[in-house]
Amino acid sequence: MSDTIVFAAREIITMNASRPSATHVAIRDGRILGAGGLDEMAGWGPYTLNEDFADKVLMPGFVEGHAHALEGGVWDYPYVGFEDRWDPDGNRWGGLKTLDDVVNALKRAEAEMPDRTTPLFSWGFDPIYFDGGRMSVTHLDQVSQTRPVMVLHSNGHLLNVNSVILEMAGISPDTNIYGVLKDDAGKPTGELMEMAAKYMAYKQTGNPFFGGIRLPSLLRYADSAVNCGVTTATDLFATLNEESLQAYRDASQKPGYALRLMPAMSTLDEGFDEGVATLRRAMADNNDRLHYGLCKVMTDGSIQGFTGRLKWPGYYNGKPNGLWNMDPEQLTALVLHYHKEGLHLHIHTNGDEASEVMLDAIEAAQLEHFRPDHRHTLQHCQMADASQFRRMHKLGVCVNLFANHIYHWGDQHAAITMGPDRARRMDACATAMREQVPFAIHSDAPVTPMAPLFTAWCAVNRLTRTGALLGPEERISAQAALHAVTLGAAYTLRMDHLIGSIEPGKYADFAVLEDNPLTVDPQAIRDVRVWGTISGGTPHKAAKRQD
Amino acid sequence: MANDHSDNRILFTVVGGFLGAGKTTLINRILLEQSEVRFAVLVNDFGSLNIDQDLILNQNSKVMQLANGCICCSLAGGLVDAMVSLMQFRDVIDHILIEASGVSYPGRIMDFARIDAELKPGLTLVLVDAVNLTSQINNARLAETITAQMESADLFLLTKTDIASDQETRFCHDWLAENQADAPILAARADHPAIIEMVLGATINTPQPALPPSLKSVGSKAHSHVGSQLHSAFETITLHANTPIDRAAFTDICRKFSRDILRAKGFVNFVDGPAIWQQTGRLIDVTPNAIPKSDEKKENRRTNLVLISSGALDSVQAALIKLGFQLGKSSIR
Repeated sequence: MSDTIVFAAREIITMNASRPSATHVAIRDGRILGAGGLDEMAGWGPYTLNEDFADKVLMPGFVEGHAHALEGGVWDYPYVGFEDRWDPDGNRWGGLKTLDDVVNALKRAEAEMPDRTTPLFSWGFDPIYFDGGRMSVTHLDQVSQTRPVMVLHSNGHLLNVNSVILEMAGISPDTNIYGVLKDDAGKPTGELMEMAAKYMAYKQTGNPFFGGIRLPSLLRYADSAVNCGVTTATDLFATLNEESLQAYRDASQKPGYALRLMPAMSTLDEGFDEGVATLRRAMADNNDRLHYGLCKVMTDGSIQGFTGRLKWPGYYNGKPNGLWNMDPEQLTALVLHYHKEGLHLHIHTNGDEASEVMLDAIEAAQLEHFRPDHRHTLQHCQMADASQFRRMHKLGVCVNLFANHIYHWGDQHAAITMGPDRARRMDACATAMREQVPFAIHSDAPVTPMAPLFTAWCAVNRLTRTGALLGPEERISAQAALHAVTLGAAYTLRMDHLIGSIEPGKYADFAVLEDNPLTVDPQAIRDVRVWGTISGGTPHKAAKRQD
Repeated sequence: MANDHSDNRILFTVVGGFLGAGKTTLINRILLEQSEVRFAVLVNDFGSLNIDQDLILNQNSKVMQLANGCICCSLAGGLVDAMVSLMQFRDVIDHILIEASGVSYPGRIMDFARIDAELKPGLTLVLVDAVNLTSQINNARLAETITAQMESADLFLLTKTDIASDQETRFCHDWLAENQADAPILAARADHPAIIEMVLGATINTPQPALPPSLKSVGSKAHSHVGSQLHSAFETITLHANTPIDRAAFTDICRKFSRDILRAKGFVNFVDGPAIWQQTGRLIDVTPNAIPKSDEKKENRRTNLVLISSGALDSVQAALIKLGFQLGKSSIR
């Protein structure tokens, strides 16, 4: 029995410019020998021909450059969002279109809980779609009057709680704190925002999403990845405590683990020197399926939460400018420190002012300590204008644009946050190409579902949820969008020598598709079904998706 | 918030201000010197703390336990989760001190103590760097953040005045005077003992909230036009009253002149009941139904108040005399 396998496919889209298309790919020891016709592959010696995918289309395994392994953990709790979603097992969680639907879904979840006092958490709720209708204790008290019930909003800024939690927290009509929302009669509605109010709620219930990552989440994360064709995914805000380090180690060494993990260490957790030391210790664990080295920096908040830092003229509806996560001076010092240490920064910037501060910081760092190929990457970078893309090009900065936002919140950006003009340039993929900035596109799962073909569809079509076309000039071709979810993303992760295309020497990581996303109607790219993945030469079938 | 003798709430202090203003200096001093009060200090970066290795009993990336009973916690992961974790150790904490980053809003952080009945709102102290304020407020990226910080301070501490030029110090004073109306402005080193005393909140048994004369105040409207006179000495006055005092009118005066009142402390026999009154700038703490030990047996309880000014006391003094107070003999003018 030979150790060479040749996979036959209907078509292989390689993303290798010198050999864009093939019918066969030969692999050995989990890596690619070459792609071409069967006759060309035969030259490598005896082989086993695998024709399981002869009617499928193979692509390089998709690379999710910005997502969170929490995507694997959130499904321990009911999803109560507006859009349909599928969990890692393929179960469909139907979108909840009214507040009553949310209540009914929570009632069903509540009925399955064994006792009467364990807190019920749920996630993904977004009142932005309910025409001003707000959730209140009136709704959540229908779910339980004995059990703490908490609904986390998808924007991360708000919570809804029931009367049980309000009572435990001592929140009453007498509580006069910004962030405790009240009705016309002065009664708290159970909607809580800002730190103090959320603290009081979490103090009663605990925060299920707090702390490091655990092995079960990483296993489910890999399942999620297989379902959408992803073979390498970041965990782009990783707390590298002992528990997390052990979980990454265990997952990456588990036989049959289908994902290459790239945790990006949170630079917030420790001082600069300590953070660098922690990361270097973690890097000793690097293996084929675990790649430490990325560092995550947070600068501002979100656009739809009005916490992104914007340049003049600010928010379209006149809201005050957003919040810095850290003093810009300190952020600048952080960039310099990690840059000088030779590390690779992935910097969250949503608003254009945040992007500008970080471009200034990288420029200063380059002047002090030149690195020819640092590949620091602005993450989200949703509002950058053309001048900022030109600076990125000159400074060697990459960008990972949040294309899914166009669909999920594009309508709100045009109407409320950015206004119709600036909304057209959100997540400006075409500008990135024009100005020659290496770019990727992403889902930020679990904020939006991980599904690179959907993300590519967003960049190609720029259609919002209501079907509006947002910034037609920023649309890119299917070829460019698929590049952005493969080799483009690999480049931003400094992994393009190992993944992102079907080329000799790289990992045998493939997305197995039922159709060719380059030849289907561009509007149907998101509908191309994913059979699963091949990771290091081993096929992994996607969970059967419940319709 | 109601308050009684058996108050076992954890005092909650917020220290805000931009990078370099001296927050860490103050925190280091508190951790080094306070042994009776078990502090839990929440800081952005352990590395900046100057703690002797011998003093550290226990340390992981989030929590450092010190031999003197204090705990340091990292704010990594956010204040909400850090506070939730910290409150599990409520039994071994007397006082929580939060290092608010330069871009956070101290008032929003003090809301933790306003909403949580286990916490007692303490001082919101904002440090202002006399050397760098000009460049900070001229930085469009920071200007509105700085202005917003000003709104919630009980007391401003102007640091680095020893190395700032007169012009810089005067600019800071004028700018603060223009952008906030109610909190006293003090010029001092961040780790001055008097500052620490105010953070601790003097106990009600202290006869008089003493301040060393070396501590300087700036902010007197009368003095502000002459640079060399910015550093005026403190004035201390004592006030008495033999007849009960109208609570609302007294409170109004203390609020109205909060900018001029660095400290006020004493027993006030209000019409609706006696109370111990403690004030540090804008922070007012009233202990209702409290009677000083010396007066416990007396039928006629005499109001007795010490005021330390951070500016001119003339106005507040006049207003209080109108309300029924008399000037005491021990007043230092």
